[in-house]
Amino acid sequence: MMKTRTEAIRAAARTLLEEGRVDAVIGYVQGTIPLRAQPFVAYTPEECDRFIWSSFCGGNLASIASGRTDRVAVVAQGCVSRNLNGLVHENRIQRENLYIIGVPCIGMLDQRKVEAKLFGRNIEFLKRDPEEDLGEIVVGGCNAMGECYEEVIKRRDVKRDNCYTCMHRNPVGADTVVVEPVSETAGGDINAVATPWMRFDADRRWEEFAKNFEDCIRCYACRDVCPLCYCTTCFVDESNPQWCGKTQDSADVQTFHILRAFHCAGRCTDCGACESACPQGIKMRRLTSMLEKDVRTLWGHEPGMDSTTKPPLSTYRPDDPEDHFK
Amino acid sequence: MKEIELYEPRIVAFFCHWCSYGAADLAGVSRMEYPASFRAVRIPCTGRMSPKFILHALRQGADGIWVSGCHPGDCHYGTGNYHSRRRLELLKNMLDYIGIEEGRIHFSWISSAEAEKFQQMAIRVVEAVRGLGPNTRLVKSVCSNCIPPVPTCDTMHECYEPLEEIPGAPRPNGSCCGGNGL
Amino acid sequence: MQHRILSKDSLAAFLEGLRKEHVVYAPKRDKKVPNKMVWKILEPGESPLFEFANTDMSPKDFVFPQSECLMRFRTGEDGTSVLKPIEPEPRKTLLFNVRPCDGKGLSFMDMIFCQDEQTNDVYWRDKRERTLMVGLACNNPCPSCFCHEANCGPHSETGLDVLMTDLGTRLLLKPLTDRGATLVDGLPEAAPGDVDRAEELKGTVEASMKPVIRTEHLEARSLMDAYNLPYWDRVCEACINCGTCTFVCPTCHCFDIQDETTPDGEEGRRVRNWDFCMSPLFTLHTSGHNPRGKKMARVRQRFMHKYKYIPMKRNGEVGCVGCGRCVRLCPVNIDIRDVINAMNAPAEAKPEGQEV
Repeated sequence: MMKTRTEAIRAAARTLLEEGRVDAVIGYVQGTIPLRAQPFVAYTPEECDRFIWSSFCGGNLASIASGRTDRVAVVAQGCVSRNLNGLVHENRIQRENLYIIGVPCIGMLDQRKVEAKLFGRNIEFLKRDPEEDLGEIVVGGCNAMGECYEEVIKRRDVKRDNCYTCMHRNPVGADTVVVEPVSETAGGDINAVATPWMRFDADRRWEEFAKNFEDCIRCYACRDVCPLCYCTTCFVDESNPQWCGKTQDSADVQTFHILRAFHCAGRCTDCGACESACPQGIKMRRLTSMLEKDVRTLWGHEPGMDSTTKPPLSTYRPDDPEDHFK
Repeated sequence: MKEIELYEPRIVAFFCHWCSYGAADLAGVSRMEYPASFRAVRIPCTGRMSPKFILHALRQGADGIWVSGCHPGDCHYGTGNYHSRRRLELLKNMLDYIGIEEGRIHFSWISSAEAEKFQQMAIRVVEAVRGLGPNTRLVKSVCSNCIPPVPTCDTMHECYEPLEEIPGAPRPNGSCCGGNGL
Repeated sequence: MQHRILSKDSLAAFLEGLRKEHVVYAPKRDKKVPNKMVWKILEPGESPLFEFANTDMSPKDFVFPQSECLMRFRTGEDGTSVLKPIEPEPRKTLLFNVRPCDGKGLSFMDMIFCQDEQTNDVYWRDKRERTLMVGLACNNPCPSCFCHEANCGPHSETGLDVLMTDLGTRLLLKPLTDRGATLVDGLPEAAPGDVDRAEELKGTVEASMKPVIRTEHLEARSLMDAYNLPYWDRVCEACINCGTCTFVCPTCHCFDIQDETTPDGEEGRRVRNWDFCMSPLFTLHTSGHNPRGKKMARVRQRFMHKYKYIPMKRNGEVGCVGCGRCVRLCPVNIDIRDVINAMNAPAEAKPEGQEV
């Protein structure tokens, strides 16, 4: 029988550590509450038995690998493997120190969407988490009075937004791929949904933009979870000149989000970690997906498809489009 | 209509040292007339232009932005303007997308010999921004957005009355406080 | 004080009465984000929700806003003057359906902001005095809650003005302060049976919460012993050093003060903003030295502060109310309950004074 992803990851990780080919393996372990997974660094073969793969591995392990100098193996689905390729190019990781354990991915689920379907009921367990795209998960729980329930939810109803339009679900440039590849794309058309505000006029676009980011609490989870954000001092922390104030004024919050997104332009793999991390449920991808669409249209670039191509904003062509220049 | 004519926008212009800045000079010594609504900031190359500069200018109250550099292929440093071309194209698209009006941000290539193009471009930029009126987007205000119980106000004088000067409080002093009066 | 009873049918009239003197806020479902609960004004005609876990953000923002203007100033030729705000309309805020953990959270922060004559924060006190809290006892705690083990509880009364218990079609209201008594004045008195029913509920709910954290060794453990636990090197590996846990926390209270001026430097304001100990900037000195320069030191700080430093200084009170928000919202699922258990478990400590 074919191994499940969890079994295959454990076996691959264990072998790597046993054979001494890496010093550590970065993967996920079961979270302390249902619908969560926790990044974990295993240093011994025994610790590898804690690894899991679930529908809720919505972070980005490339950010944990980034900047490490020991030899690490990273459990990576399509988007994360592309981030790793990018980080190799940017010299954040040496390729010879990196081993990519590739996992073909069927898309992660948005725990908020699952919770919303069960509003007011506690989720105490995830009973079934199938490895088929069109499968159904089963969640359930009990209340204080001892009344219990179980609910069947279709995966396709509660996927994360970015996972509907994923372009590369299979790992890119992985050293090993632990299970059979899945269909390369998730089926959704990213270009069709990347710029939802484009149909409005400027005033309305501004309104939508302001509304989209009004709940931001400046916790910077979107920045900190992102493998592309590794500056020693982020521009929001610079004080002279102070590019971005520290307050909750809309100008400060908006400046942060514009620059954060722009700094990721041409490098973002649409992994969705920023939206998964946000405690306020803000849709940062409204900006990043627009930028990536432009990057594809203007310069035909797809980030992270190998570790040698320069990101589009670090290079040029003499005949680049220049519609905005007079 | 009259009011719009009277309104003078504040435009921050970033000019490359090797070309557009020279063009501005040439236009000046050639006695060409152009509007005086922009403040020129000399930068070493458009490759130095960071999106932060543009957002910072808007944040500080600029109504429009104009970036001008050497024609592609003529960069003093070889490729600075090629790089900035990609960056600025993308930034402009993004600012359009979030609703910063099209006519607020302008880019141009002007060599140091093109005083006439400089003059035309200056008129064009100022007219476009003037037509849009004052910018309210991405502007940092230290006065609005007061959080209750401090009342909201447009100018501080409206909703605050001065207390008497605090006895013994340090006077603004350029030597110890960077001269900004804090 | 006498318990009162309120039928949910007459809730609208009761709320209308409250609205005469207060701006009434209640937890509502967010329109944009699935399964997000936010504090919003309860408009006339709107009925409050009773079946919800808790709001995503604690209500500390009402008393300790994330950005708060402390004063304004102007510079001129004759010196700097501080400007006094014109007396604002005294507006009272009423938080309806506050969960007991959040009531406890604000009462905990009273201890921080109003410690003694020297430390008596007017900005806090002003808003705290104008904020009333009508609590709603938890009848269905989340799996991530552990209030019963953090000096709080699903029916805890601390900090609230009124505690309501949902009895199905009716609410039992227990006034806890004079202000609370005024609020419920005029409602019919509760029958002894209702009070017993609420007590029974309280017992059932508390019994349903399983023990999850252990702190019995933590108190006796020396500070340096806990500080030097090897565990810290592991738990920080997953942490991304964002501010989520501190910003959603009902007891985190650190702030940063900045002066902001107009571009010409003539006018300005002093603003107080929430700050978070996970940020390297939090402890960065002007010299460039950073005493908590490493991620591990910053992660350790938060948990040590809540479960070691505060209990040491404040007679066993912990800096946590067990609301479980950080457990639910942490992007990498670092669970404070696991961390506490690890701090409690006997383990070999690193040599003292090790460089961090």
